[in-house]
Amino acid sequence: MAEVEPVSTNNKDDMQEEIPGVMTTSTSAISDFLKKTKAQDLINWGRKNSLWFTVNAMGCCGVELLSTGMAHYDTDRFGIIPRNSPRHADVLIISGYVTKKYFPALKRIWDQMPAPKWVIAFGDCAISGGPFYESYSTRQNIDEVFPVDIYVPGCPPRCEALIQAFYELQKKIVAKKDKGTDY
Amino acid sequence: MDAKAIIDTLSSQFTGVIYDAQVESDIRILAKVKNENVKDICQYLKEELSFGHLCCELGVDHPERNEIEVVYVIGSYEHPVVLTLKAILPRDNPEIESVVPVYWNANWYERETYELFGVKYLNHPDLRPLVLPQDMLGEWPLRKDYKGFPNKTAKNLV
Ligand code: SF4
Repeated sequence: MAEVEPVSTNNKDDMQEEIPGVMTTSTSAISDFLKKTKAQDLINWGRKNSLWFTVNAMGCCGVELLSTGMAHYDTDRFGIIPRNSPRHADVLIISGYVTKKYFPALKRIWDQMPAPKWVIAFGDCAISGGPFYESYSTRQNIDEVFPVDIYVPGCPPRCEALIQAFYELQKKIVAKKDKGTDY
Repeated sequence: MDAKAIIDTLSSQFTGVIYDAQVESDIRILAKVKNENVKDICQYLKEELSFGHLCCELGVDHPERNEIEVVYVIGSYEHPVVLTLKAILPRDNPEIESVVPVYWNANWYERETYELFGVKYLNHPDLRPLVLPQDMLGEWPLRKDYKGFPNKTAKNLV
């Protein structure tokens, strides 16, 4: 696969463009300040109620992921909405085995997601390799690469388990224990 | 035609090229073929004997004999017979003529046999790895002396 040259947008000249009526900054001083105040609780309340997830069904667990987003389980009622673009999403669900060929693409999906973002390892394959734990073609130990917040065991886990995982993630966000934000 | 008639026709058409032919049962024939002639035989099977369906194509590694077998399983919609052809290649340089010009669906089978066993298909239209990444080319994971299996790096095992 052809590698795309990473284009740095973090240099000073790019960031300090003039937008009329808008002050731009290239530091995270404001969000760092807010983290110490009560306002963060309000922000977290908003974040926990709009956990949009990427639809990348990878292994057989992906089927459960898809049906969780559909009408029968209707996660929209919790604000958990499937998004087709990683740029709209907050939660990456690693749903199944990560083959060596798919790994660079998954990495790129993760890089495209805007922070704050969270990872759920869904299924035995994402946790430990599952039935493929000795395989030559799968990438093992995904939790070393992505900051996984919630592990959902099962082969495949049920849709209810995924809803439970979102619930646990919401609890973690409210408790400020999640790995998506540095406190 | 029944199995016996098919194998007789085939052997008389390709004397010396098809050997060790065996009628395993009423519906299965097993035969070995010389690897230079695989494409001609497939052409003949498809055009004259109406064996129009390549069910699968695969490799088998035999390190003790220093051989890689390429197996063609060919079915027909007219005869109640499934034909298994085996071509035997040397293990250090397995090369064989591609049958994609005859059976187009062999394309992905051959790409997969290439990436897993290292069988080089001559005149294949697009011989790239199918499901493995490009940098695993040359490891040939399904050969029996492959060192990367079992992969013992997984933690978190229960
Ligand atoms: S955990 Fe089981 S169901 Fe899920 S991707 Fe792995 S093998 Fe498939």
